[in-house]
Amino acid sequence: MATTSKQYKAIGEDLWKGRSEKINAELFALTYGALVVQLIQDYEDYAEVNKHLEKMGYNIGTRLIEDFLAKSGLGRCADFREVGEVVSKVGFKSFLNITPTVTHGAPPPPPSPNRPSSINTLSQTSAGSSFTLTLDENPLAEFVELPDEALEGGLWFSNVLCGVLRGALEMVQMQVQAEFISDVLRGDESTEIRVKLVKYLEEEVPVGDD
Amino acid sequence: MSHHLFLLSPSDTPLYSLTHYSTKPAPSVTSPLASNLPTWSTSAFAGTLTALSGASSATQHTTGGAVRMGGGQDRHVIQMIANASLDVIEDIMRKENTMYLKSVDKFNEWTVSAFITAGNMKFILLHEGKNDDGIRAFFVDVWELYVKTMLNPFHTAHTPIRSAVFDGRVRASAKKYL
Repeated sequence: MATTSKQYKAIGEDLWKGRSEKINAELFALTYGALVVQLIQDYEDYAEVNKHLEKMGYNIGTRLIEDFLAKSGLGRCADFREVGEVVSKVGFKSFLNITPTVTHGAPPPPPSPNRPSSINTLSQTSAGSSFTLTLDENPLAEFVELPDEALEGGLWFSNVLCGVLRGALEMVQMQVQAEFISDVLRGDESTEIRVKLVKYLEEEVPVGDD
Repeated sequence: MSHHLFLLSPSDTPLYSLTHYSTKPAPSVTSPLASNLPTWSTSAFAGTLTALSGASSATQHTTGGAVRMGGGQDRHVIQMIANASLDVIEDIMRKENTMYLKSVDKFNEWTVSAFITAGNMKFILLHEGKNDDGIRAFFVDVWELYVKTMLNPFHTAHTPIRSAVFDGRVRASAKKYL
């Protein structure tokens, strides 16, 4: 049952409106900003800070996906392309009230015949597909201006978002790599996150179950 | 006509300063002292007198050594005038509740206008002539820009503001209102 992008948008809107607990955007941005500044003071190395932001996001993502699936009731996505659509139109919309634009990556080369097709419906898209999310507005980075040291050190201010994507998708059996490609805080033209599928994870039988 | 803006923290630390030369025509205000200058105006004494009479915009256009002398001493005089007005501002601060204190002090042809924010930040503007509405609008604009700078997590409160974005926007606002 293919859900069109309009339907996804509608689902996203409904979820956002249906949320009873919303937080003030300024408070959210200030809290996140204080968090990043504190991490910078603690670690003093921007690569470390990026890594820790991503780790924090990963922990958030693993829990967030449960909330998302419970509220949205969406089923399994047919392919990675649909994953991109759902993430941007329903996921981002229902949690941050923004809809980043999705650009799907070029289709990967045809799979080699030796690839095991144990995962039936998902084997159409082989590992290597990707999509890029372009955020026109970033609620995490309101009022932020990066100082020169942060620019030189290579800080990705909103790196927590990459972690969230990785964590959430890992809980639904997709191992992905999410990273920032450009950021307006750094002076680039737009803020973009590239999400690349590494592989589909096999459902593992828990140890001890027989 | 030039304007000098100073942003001071509650403990009177200067956080930002700007000098703006307005393209708008200055109201014709003749300085009483300038007319008394003798013709040998290149001497050091006369230079000081010129500086004290506040005729900075006039000296900018003349050529020769007098300009540099006048310009350099002018800066100190401006600072002195601004500092002197702080006492007056503090007095008014205690009594009144309003944010925009129109002109608190006058020195020859320089008028000092002040604006106090809720966090006791002082914005001081030295200007010639009268421009209440424009100055009020300018102060409110600078206030908004200042609040946005304070919201930046990378900015520590009450430290000098070095952001180029802030600087650019204050200049644009000055051009618009002054």
